[in-house]
Amino acid sequence: MPGRVAFWTQTARLLACTAPLIGCDYAYPEVVVVNELGESVLVRNVSFNGCKWDEMLAHEDATAPGRCLTGRDQVHFQRFDAAQYCQTQVEDDNLPGLCFCDAEDAPPTDPHDLGLVSQNPLWFNYQTISQHEVEYGSFHRFVLRPDGLEQDFSVPGPYGH
Amino acid sequence: MHATHTGVTLVVLAVSSLPASARAQPPTDRPSPTAPQASADDPEGVEPRRPTDTADPTAATPPSPPSTAATGTSPEPIEVEVRGRRRPRRNDTAAVTEVSGERLRDSARASTLEALSQETPGLYVTSRGVGLHGIASGASGALHLRGLGGSPNTQVLVVEDGVPDYQGVFGHPIPDAYESFLIDRALVVRGGDSVLYGTNALGGVIVLENRRLAREGFELQNDMALGSYATLRERLAVLARHGEWDVTSGVSALRSEGHRAGAGGANDLAHFSVRWRPRPTTHLLVSTKLFHGTGGDPGPITHPYTDHWYDARRTTSSVQLRSWHEGLLLRLVPYLNTGVHRLYDGFYSRDHNAGAYAETELDLLPGWHALVGLSADSVGGWVENRGTEEVENVQGLTNTAAYGQLTVQPWQPLELVAGARGVLNSEYGLVPLYKLGTRVEMLPGVAVRARWAKNFRQPTIRERYLPFPTANPDLEPEYATTLDGGLNAHLGKLVIDAAGFRTHSRNLIRYFGAWPTAEVVNIDETTAYGVEGLIGVHDLGPLSARASGVWQDVGRYTRQNPSHKVNLAVQLRHTLGTGVLTGELSGEWVGGLYENNYARDPLDDVFFIDLALRYPLELSAREYSLEPYLLVRNLLDLEYEYIQGYRMPGLNFLGGLKVTL
Repeated sequence: MPGRVAFWTQTARLLACTAPLIGCDYAYPEVVVVNELGESVLVRNVSFNGCKWDEMLAHEDATAPGRCLTGRDQVHFQRFDAAQYCQTQVEDDNLPGLCFCDAEDAPPTDPHDLGLVSQNPLWFNYQTISQHEVEYGSFHRFVLRPDGLEQDFSVPGPYGH
Repeated sequence: MHATHTGVTLVVLAVSSLPASARAQPPTDRPSPTAPQASADDPEGVEPRRPTDTADPTAATPPSPPSTAATGTSPEPIEVEVRGRRRPRRNDTAAVTEVSGERLRDSARASTLEALSQETPGLYVTSRGVGLHGIASGASGALHLRGLGGSPNTQVLVVEDGVPDYQGVFGHPIPDAYESFLIDRALVVRGGDSVLYGTNALGGVIVLENRRLAREGFELQNDMALGSYATLRERLAVLARHGEWDVTSGVSALRSEGHRAGAGGANDLAHFSVRWRPRPTTHLLVSTKLFHGTGGDPGPITHPYTDHWYDARRTTSSVQLRSWHEGLLLRLVPYLNTGVHRLYDGFYSRDHNAGAYAETELDLLPGWHALVGLSADSVGGWVENRGTEEVENVQGLTNTAAYGQLTVQPWQPLELVAGARGVLNSEYGLVPLYKLGTRVEMLPGVAVRARWAKNFRQPTIRERYLPFPTANPDLEPEYATTLDGGLNAHLGKLVIDAAGFRTHSRNLIRYFGAWPTAEVVNIDETTAYGVEGLIGVHDLGPLSARASGVWQDVGRYTRQNPSHKVNLAVQLRHTLGTGVLTGELSGEWVGGLYENNYARDPLDDVFFIDLALRYPLELSAREYSLEPYLLVRNLLDLEYEYIQGYRMPGLNFLGGLKVTL
C-alpha cells in the first residue's frame, strides 16, 4: 500500500509540474477593433492575424478582446453602408412611397434599368491600408476610419474539399 | 538451434530474466532494431531487419539506463546461434527507411506522419498546427516524396498491418488516423512499389506494423499529456499474450483549442486486434480500427474561418490468415475500409474500399525465392449535398491483379530481384507493371543497390466525378517509372544511407486554375530527379546525432514540392539518480517551397527547432515505470508556415507522463 501511495504522489507531483504550461498561450496579444467608419456603416467578419470576430459592429461599437497570433497583419472586414444602400433602393424605385426630398439629388432621367436592380444588400471586403504589429503580452485597440481603408482582393475564393 | 540451410549465421543474445528496464520497453514480435532478425514467433519475416538496412540505428530507442545495477538484477546473456539462409525481404532493392515505433512515440513533432518526416530523408509532410491535420479544404498532412504526392494526396500509399489504407471517394489516407501508440515500426519505401502494393504506390509506400507482445503476460502503457492551447493528449495501449491468444488494443484521444480561431478539434482512435495461434505455424489475426475526427478549416490567418467544420468517421477491419510450412508461406487477407464524411457546406459521403489478397512465398531452390499473389479491390461510394439535395452520379472502380516477384541469390553477396504485376481495371483494362533490382553486399555492413520500377495510380472518384472544384470523367491512370540507386552502410556506430533517383511520370493528374474556372487534367510527362542522404552516429558516449536531407528538381510542378529539406537531431543522455535524463534537439529546414505550380507563390523557408526532455524512472522494485517528459516546440519562436496563410504556432509546450505497468 505505501508503494501505491508513493506512486500516485509521484504522479501527481509530475502532473502538477506540467500544468502551468497549459496557460502559456495566454501571453498572446489581445486585440480590439472599433468601428468609426460613419454612423450609417456596419462592419462584420472582422479578422486580424488569426483572430476572427463574429459580431456585427455598428458605429463606435468595439469587438470583444481577442487573442491573436504575434506578428504583422492588416485588419480585414466586410463593410456595408446602409445610407448608400437606401439611396440606391430609392433610385431603383424599390421602396414605394419614398423619393428624394431634394430634386437635385434625383437621377436626371429614367433611372430604371431592371437588369441591374438588386435588393440584396452588398457587403464589400475591405482592409486597413496600414499593417499593425502585435507582440506577446501586449494590448492593441485598432480603430477603423474612412481614410485608412482599401478594398481587399485577397479573400480566398470557394474551393472545396 | 540449426536451420536446414547453410549460409548466413545469425546470433541472438537473449537474457534469462527481464529487468524492469526491459519491461518498460518490452520485447515485441520484432527484435530490437540493433539486433538481426530472428523471430521464431513470426518466421515468415515479412520485413526482417538486418544491419545493412537503411534503418537509422540512431533512431532506435536510446539505451536503457543502467538501472539493473541499481536494482541488483543481473541478467545472464545466453548466446543462441542460428544458422541458415536469410529469407529475402519484400523490398530488398528499394530505398527503405525504417523507423521504430518508440522513436515515433518519443518524437517532439506533433503527429505521427510529421515524426516520420523528421526521420526519413525525402519525405515531406505539411502541417498547420499542434497535431490536427483535418480533412477537406485547408487540411494538412499531405505526403510528398520525390516530387509526387501532396495534392492530390493520393500518390503515396499507406499500408497498416498489411492493409492498404485509403478512402474510397477521395483516394487518400486520413493523416489524423495514424497514432504511434501501437506502432512497432514504420517502413518508408521511397520510390513506391506498385508490383507489390498495387494502385497509389506511385511515389512511395509507408508500411506501418503494429506491436504484439512476444512474451507471455500483460503490458499496459498510458501516456497522458497536457499542453499549450488547452491541448490534451491521451494514449492507452494494452498488450497481452496468453497461451494461443495475443491481444493488441488501445485508444488515443487528442483535444486542442488550436493556436488560433478555428484551428481546434479532436481526434479519437480505437484499435483492437486479437491473434489466435492454434499451431506454431498458423496465425489468424482479426483487427478493427475506429477513427472519429472533428475540427475545422481555420482558413488563412488574414481571413480565418470558424464555421468550416468537418466530421469524419472511419472503420477499417481485416482478417489475416498466415500459415507456413517447410519454406512455404501462405497469407490470405480480406479487408474492408468504410467511412462517413460530413462537411459544413452540406457535403455528405459514404465510401468503401474493400479487397482481398492471397500471397504465397516459397523457396524454389537454394537461393531462389518466389512470391506470388492474387488480389482484388473495389472502391466506391455515395456523395450528396444535403443542403441542395443534389446527389452526385459516381461510379466505382475495381481492380483484379496477379503479381509475382522472384529473388535470386546466385551467391551470397548478390541479390537479383524481378517482379511484375498485371492489373485488370474495370475502366482502364490491363495495366502492366514491373520492377527490376539488384543489391550487392560489398563488405559486411556495406551494400549498394539499384532498382527500376514502373508504378501506377488510378484516378479517384473525386477527380472523375465531384465538382470540388471540378471533375473530369475521362481521366487516365497515372504512371511513374522510377530509377534509383544507392549505398547503405552500417559500420559500428556510423550509419550512412545515400540514394539518387530519377522519376519519369506520365499522365499525372493535376488541378489548374481556381473555381469556377478550374480544370483537372492528365498532364503529358514530367521528370523529377534528386539525391537523398542520411548520416548518423549513435552512442558516442552520451551523444547520438544524425542528419538527413534531400535535394531535388521537380520541374514545373512545384506545388508543395520543396527543392530541399534537411532534418537534424542531436541527443544527449545523462545518468541522474535512477534514471537517464535525455535531451534531444531536432529541427527541420525546408526550402524552395511554392504554394503553386510553375514556381508561383513562393513561400519563405520553413525552419524550426524542437526540444524533447525525457526522464525515464526505472522503478524495478515496483511493478511500474514512470517517464515524465516535456516537449518544447518551435523553441526559437520563429514564424513559419508550410501552407500559405496557415501559420504554424509559436513557442509551445506539451508536458506529460508515461506510465508502464
